[in-house]
Amino acid sequence: MSYNRHYRGGRRHYRDDEDERRRDVVESPQERMKNTIIRLGEVDPLQEISAVETSIRELAPPDICNLSESFHIGVTEQPYKIPFYAALLRLLHNNPSQGGDSIGADEISLGKQILEEFWKGFQAYVDKLMWRETRLCIHFFAHLTSAQLISTESFAALLQSFTAVLDEFGVSHGRAKRAALCAAEGLMIAGAVLTLATPTFSREIISSIQMYTETTTSGKWIVQPIVRLHSSAVTVENADELLDTALVVLKALESSDFVGPYPRPYSEYPPLDTSTFSAFVLPSVLVPPEVIELDGLSTEAEESEIKREEWPEYFLRLFGDDVTPDPNTPAGYAVRTDLLAIIDIFEVNRKEAARLLLEYPKWVVSGTFKPKPGAPPLEVEPLVTYDWQLESTLLETMLGASLVLPQSSQAQIYYDSLITEVCKLSPSTVGPAVGKSIRKLYSSLTDGLDVEIARRFSEWFAIHMSNFNFQWVWKEWIPDLELAVQHPKRAFMRTAAEYEIRLSYYDRVVKSLPEAMHAPEAHVLPKQAPGPDFLYDDSSKPHHDAAQSILNLFRGRAKAEDVITHLDTLRNTLESEISETENVNSLVRIISTQSLLHIGSRSFSHLLNAIERYLPLLRTLASGGVTASAGAGNPEAKADILSAAASFWKYNPQMVAIVFDKLMQYQIVDPTDVVSWTFLHVSEVDEFEADLKAPLNLSAFEWNLLKGALDKAIGRVNIARRRLALLRKEDDENRARAKANGGNMDVDGEAKSDEPVPEDPALAVAVKAFSSLTREQKAALSRTLEGFVSCLAPSISSSHPNPKAREILTENSWHNRANWGKDEWIAWETWGWYRHFCRAYSPYLRNYAATFTAVSFARFEGQSDPASDLLQKIWDISIGQE
Amino acid sequence: MLSNSTTLYIGNLSFFTTEEQIYELFSKCANAADGGGIKRIIMGLDRNTRTPCGFCFVEYYTHTEALASMRYVSGTKLDERIIRCDLDLGYKEGRQFGRGKSGGQVRDEHRQDYDPGRGGWGAQAQRLEVERRRAVEERYADAQDGPGAVAGGGEDWKEIETSEGKLKRGRSPEDEGDNARMGQRTRTDEVAEVDRM
Repeated sequence: MSYNRHYRGGRRHYRDDEDERRRDVVESPQERMKNTIIRLGEVDPLQEISAVETSIRELAPPDICNLSESFHIGVTEQPYKIPFYAALLRLLHNNPSQGGDSIGADEISLGKQILEEFWKGFQAYVDKLMWRETRLCIHFFAHLTSAQLISTESFAALLQSFTAVLDEFGVSHGRAKRAALCAAEGLMIAGAVLTLATPTFSREIISSIQMYTETTTSGKWIVQPIVRLHSSAVTVENADELLDTALVVLKALESSDFVGPYPRPYSEYPPLDTSTFSAFVLPSVLVPPEVIELDGLSTEAEESEIKREEWPEYFLRLFGDDVTPDPNTPAGYAVRTDLLAIIDIFEVNRKEAARLLLEYPKWVVSGTFKPKPGAPPLEVEPLVTYDWQLESTLLETMLGASLVLPQSSQAQIYYDSLITEVCKLSPSTVGPAVGKSIRKLYSSLTDGLDVEIARRFSEWFAIHMSNFNFQWVWKEWIPDLELAVQHPKRAFMRTAAEYEIRLSYYDRVVKSLPEAMHAPEAHVLPKQAPGPDFLYDDSSKPHHDAAQSILNLFRGRAKAEDVITHLDTLRNTLESEISETENVNSLVRIISTQSLLHIGSRSFSHLLNAIERYLPLLRTLASGGVTASAGAGNPEAKADILSAAASFWKYNPQMVAIVFDKLMQYQIVDPTDVVSWTFLHVSEVDEFEADLKAPLNLSAFEWNLLKGALDKAIGRVNIARRRLALLRKEDDENRARAKANGGNMDVDGEAKSDEPVPEDPALAVAVKAFSSLTREQKAALSRTLEGFVSCLAPSISSSHPNPKAREILTENSWHNRANWGKDEWIAWETWGWYRHFCRAYSPYLRNYAATFTAVSFARFEGQSDPASDLLQKIWDISIGQE
Repeated sequence: MLSNSTTLYIGNLSFFTTEEQIYELFSKCANAADGGGIKRIIMGLDRNTRTPCGFCFVEYYTHTEALASMRYVSGTKLDERIIRCDLDLGYKEGRQFGRGKSGGQVRDEHRQDYDPGRGGWGAQAQRLEVERRRAVEERYADAQDGPGAVAGGGEDWKEIETSEGKLKRGRSPEDEGDNARMGQRTRTDEVAEVDRM
């Protein structure tokens, strides 16, 4: 069977391949033992348990540490095997020989020794707040409790120490969620024995989780995958919140005496001899408080790393309950928990993850999944008759995890590549499930699918098609070309085609689309292949000669200073040519920037070369006056540079983002400039696209520019923070050393040791950099918030007011969305990006909550207006004040 | 050291694949909020013809991003070819050129099969590819060698000096220091690209 050949020892992802190959050659008996345990059940779990038991007993003397470590690896890296590990440990609790000389009644069984050792490892997970490992060990303990190896009272106490976390004052959602899942899942598995001992126990756990989830309603509203702007109610069809499902499942189990869906191989074994056996009593634990990052011993609160904010987790459902398991049922919850664990644990090796996912049915009770076509009929009657479709279940789980808001736990591309691997392993069965998933997601675009989910969907779509020859039946979407041009379905087609082109090339993608989508009116494809648009290329265009003169200098590799001097002359010439309304400085900036980009237009590397060669020129341009000495730059000048770049690459949105990114990297413009430009000028770039863009429209493209700028600002603060922490640490060490040395030389007098050690000048620079960058980060965030506020609650005087920004907020309007036009959908999408901005950047926004509230929301004081109310509501939730 | 390398060697590219296509795929592993991003891409060129010869270097700002590419991008398709990523010790001057006898990559000289994306064109060329071929042939005709031929991609943020004299030099003293060090490494630490073919 191919299983063993591929597998090679369970924890493959800990080492690199080469290392492993070496180890395979010289495998010590202990390592062989470990591998035997890790590989338990790869052919037939039930039969192998006793064989593994025998080999463990044969290796004398037993190495308890090694055995316990093997169980740890098995339990925390292969959670689907946990019931079988519990059975193995149960067998190891048997006393092998009865009445021999050396074996007394007080002899501790091998199993119990392992369990005692295992406990220490668990304690370490808890102390380090390794939540996944902790939770999986609790699964294991729950099975051991069911198998009578662990005392029910002590296991119940363990679960209570996790629900105690929910009562902590100001507990973060991330911590509460993880603790609640530990308690809930432990109860799901061991509920029968726990309630037998204490009938009220399950009630206790359930009500404490319920009390907690009731406090999370507003958080749910901001991350639910289907947007309802008109209502505060959390009503989500086709999606389930993680803790909510756990609660529903617990209640269902409670009312059916906790007859759970879990395999329990140990239940077949004869009971232990109670005269010689006593159950292990789990020592009590205290879940330690969350560590506030103390790296670098930084003392200022502002310098501590900002943790990502966690919100309730919604998983989309794509299929019916007859096709894929409903996570609100015990069996469905168990399947999804296992699959999510595999996806998470094997992130380091996606091929392994894909294989394990497709082999998952062998770990669940028979009848859970439909047998593979052509598989031999089961010899025994299946235990259940769910007959779910494996491939659809996998797709639903992988996509569900990848579309969690505000961000998925792993990088987006991991899920995309994982889906690709699953498809590659079994194209004929997985392919149709992929197609159905795409259709389901696409159809939910009409019903308010969140804009960020839609964006990730189009990214995945393009990546997936790029891996499978761009084969998609686009023609089934032709009827949707009748919809408004900014309807989410049409926006999706456009973005998907654009992302495909970025990964491939224009002609290739055009070829894969039906004729009906080629027409410019269809607005599916860009009007032309992505390429530069040099304003002054044509000799009939105004200022062609001026541009040529600059280009000639660039081509002749003239020094930046000489170009700057030339621009002064050029400025005088141009001044006489233009009308009074035009600004000659602005014109010079645009011509120069366009010409520089023209020189660098052949490739990304050419762009970098052009920018690097003419950095002094760009800095001069950014400084405002053409020859004025550069400083932090002039906002209008920098806006001109950005406008010139955006119009130069107006047929290639990808390059706009790249150029902006590098202009920030080379410090020609700041993130705040990009944010301001996006809100103020993006609509001016392309007059041909104007009918798509004005009034102010925030689509995935604009969001991408904003995100690029915000992330750049945040990334810089993070770099500066790390550097500062490092320098502080070094500085502290130096001081300590100086102090120690001073102590030794104390003979001469005390005065010396009191002398302050001079501060490292690098430290002062780092402190200054950190504070400048923090200021810039704050400005970028503030500018973004302000941009959204003025565009969603436009005042009468604003430049491109969208008349629909307020209108679409009523329930009637939403139900009438079939008749929405361009402006309504534009406004709707912009609201969506505002909501995403607030929840995605909430940890940063919270730091400045008071200032930002005063700056951006004070103007609405005393007004009641649906737009300002909603802006405020979304804001309050994201900063945790509702 | 590979254990903190931020550079990847990308192999099995189509000769037609552009830096922007590479940027698009590899930017999915970029993490700007962590101080990362794509620093630069260096297209591997045939020494003689100055046309792409099927490999490139992608340099990130952080090691984590390079690692993510190894995990999530290596072994997936770009431009309909399965590409391969390896951690790399970092770009050194001259490494953008192929080291095969013909000027291209060494591995291509040992290949027997017809490979449409990698020089296997000519009479069999599809019409679509003719246009791409033309663009590719011209794009890097100006590729230079020697020091400074390949752009750096932009360093970490630094406080901008406002006095004019310093700005006119274009690059800050630290940059020059970097270059000097790089030059030294090139001489002492030759990494034959042939090794990885």
